[in-house]
Amino acid sequence: MEEARLISLENVHKQFDGVTVLSDINLYIRKKEFVTLLGPSGCGKTTTLRIIGGFETADSGRVLFDGQDISGLPPYKRRVNTVFQKYALFPHLNVRDNIAFGLKIKKTPKDEIARKVDKMLDLVNLQGYGKRSVDSLSGGQQQRIAIARALVNEPEVLLLDEPLGALDLKLRKEMQLELKAMQQRLGITFLYVTHDQEEALTMSDTIVVMRGGRILQIGTPKSIYDEPKNAFVADFIGESNIFKGTMIRDELVRFCGAEFPCVDEGFGEDAPVDVVVRPEDVLLVGEDVGQVTGVVKSVLFKGVHYEMMIDAGHSIWKVHATTMQPEGSRVGLSVVPFNIHIMRPMQEEQ
Amino acid sequence: MIRNLTLPWWAWILMGLCLCGFVALVVITVRRNRGMKRSLFAAPYTLWMILFTVLPVLLIAYYAFTDANGAFTLDNFRNFWDSNYESNKVILEVMGEDGAAYVTRGTVNVDTLVYSLWMAFQCTLICLILGYPAALFMADRHMKLGSTLVVLFIIPMWMNFLLRTIAWMSLLEDSGLINSFLKALGFNGVQLMYNSGAVLLGMVYNFLPFMVFPIYTVLNKMDYRLSEAAADLGCNGWQTLYKVTMPLSVPGVISGITMVFMPSVTTFFIPRVLGGGNTMMFGDLIESKFLTEGNWNVGSALSLIMMVLILISLSILRKADPNGEGGGIA
Ligand SMILES: Nc1ncnc2c1ncn2[C@@H]1O[C@H](COP(=O)(O)OP(=O)(O)O)[C@@H](O)[C@H]1O
Ligand SMILES: [Mg+2]
Repeated sequence: MEEARLISLENVHKQFDGVTVLSDINLYIRKKEFVTLLGPSGCGKTTTLRIIGGFETADSGRVLFDGQDISGLPPYKRRVNTVFQKYALFPHLNVRDNIAFGLKIKKTPKDEIARKVDKMLDLVNLQGYGKRSVDSLSGGQQQRIAIARALVNEPEVLLLDEPLGALDLKLRKEMQLELKAMQQRLGITFLYVTHDQEEALTMSDTIVVMRGGRILQIGTPKSIYDEPKNAFVADFIGESNIFKGTMIRDELVRFCGAEFPCVDEGFGEDAPVDVVVRPEDVLLVGEDVGQVTGVVKSVLFKGVHYEMMIDAGHSIWKVHATTMQPEGSRVGLSVVPFNIHIMRPMQEEQ
Repeated sequence: MIRNLTLPWWAWILMGLCLCGFVALVVITVRRNRGMKRSLFAAPYTLWMILFTVLPVLLIAYYAFTDANGAFTLDNFRNFWDSNYESNKVILEVMGEDGAAYVTRGTVNVDTLVYSLWMAFQCTLICLILGYPAALFMADRHMKLGSTLVVLFIIPMWMNFLLRTIAWMSLLEDSGLINSFLKALGFNGVQLMYNSGAVLLGMVYNFLPFMVFPIYTVLNKMDYRLSEAAADLGCNGWQTLYKVTMPLSVPGVISGITMVFMPSVTTFFIPRVLGGGNTMMFGDLIESKFLTEGNWNVGSALSLIMMVLILISLSILRKADPNGEGGGIA
């Protein structure tokens, strides 16, 4: 679907003072899609966003918007708006004037500005806050103002840089749902940056996993969770047991001193691989029927499930289960073939 | 004698307008900063203040309100208003009613003050016009030359103020560097010194850093994302400057204006060196009262008037910039 691509990055490279920050970024965003850049701090998410917003220029590569190369366009000529990491609200303007800022620059008629700003205040649930100074608002409220200030311009794309980073957990969860609902209701394309995998999994249509200035994997939340391309992605997206193993032949892998049937093929014979098993996919069975056996080292109640660390001789397994096995007891561990993910070992960074 | 003492009417209007604008800026800033409090002075500092500030001020006040014999009098202030006051008094005593025809008010003191205010005003305006763009360049994240410019502004401040001024003399003199150069090229020499222009040049040169640094400090501390947010919302460079950068730099501008205006009004020495005695400013007048005439009482009265003016500016500065954001010089 070429024509549905709203933004494309093609072979984007960026260096700061001779240090490569982004290398070979290729990425496209469809209309009305919710795309999340996910990766640890310093991996280049903000820089990518700033290149799209026009605050940095790529050293090489192209940025296309609706098929047009916009690499040379200044920020104020781009049809995108940004919600900045620390909000960047104007301290000399009150809430209303902050939201109205973009419309005033565009010389929108006064009554239309008033109407649109009121609508935005409704949308972000801050009716009656118009005359307040922005410094007098809480983090969550400032956050909403920042979103309203961007959305009121009806941008085609909204860029959001860790917009919920400064909020506490409960508020963050609420805002995640609100933002997602808003995005669907308004039909705006969102490019969202976060280092929180859970946030990315809940909100996104597409997740772009980044590390060290490279894109590791692009896919739907489900495909990235279920079929991580390598150990880093597996580890970063949710909790995982990651073992070094050997692919004996198609559909049979050896790790932790035992052979496991699996569903993966095409790795060759006796090939070194990384094996990922999600903690919730490990079954606790009788000692005699387990594929491996181990001793329960610790038990932690996590609200919905118990998290047990099980020592299986050469390896430690993290297991999530709704029933608890007492510390020190011997248990058998079993994994169904479908839940074993085989990945090529990660090449180290050059 | 001293020239350039009468101001044209438009000068008064210009100064009045600018004063109104400045007061408006201050009021806005004070209202924005409402609720902030200055921390109390530390004890040693208070002691220092008493020893070296309060005591001299009390001493000056004592001299200003007494005559040569130490008796209370307001004559010193009358002397400020009418520099012929003493001689007029004698004329009236001697000639009685008939003397009224010979009595004229000596306006030299008041005129000198007005002239000083006018010079200080021009100097402040020029410093603002030159200093704001300089501060903008220095604080610009994308300008590689910014930090170099900061150093270039600081280096002359290491030199003594008298030396700096005398250095200008050797440039501007009739036989100075510039004129020698012009003559070497076959032009006629020009008289660059001994006029208000040269004095103004010396003042601007000396006081410009006091304008640049408060503004630079505020701009430098300003979150660059605010300008980016403005650009993101559709502002081009000028609009960003006008809508975001300038309003947010107002505390620095107020500091800068106050910090240039205060020393400008009290300027001395520069007029004598670069103005060649053709012009005299209030600072020179006070100096001459103390050192030339040895009249400490009138000198003190003039100083006190000056001090009231400065205190007013200082209190404005404190109110408008309660956190001392406008740089450490205040
Ligand atoms: N203006 C800059 N100058 C120099 N280095 C920078 C600049 N901006 C970002 N970097 C560096 O680029 C890397 C990526 O930064 P960033 O894109 O902010 O990462 P993220 O948002 O994923 O945490 C970091 O190592 C950071 O130090
Ligand atoms: Mg970042």
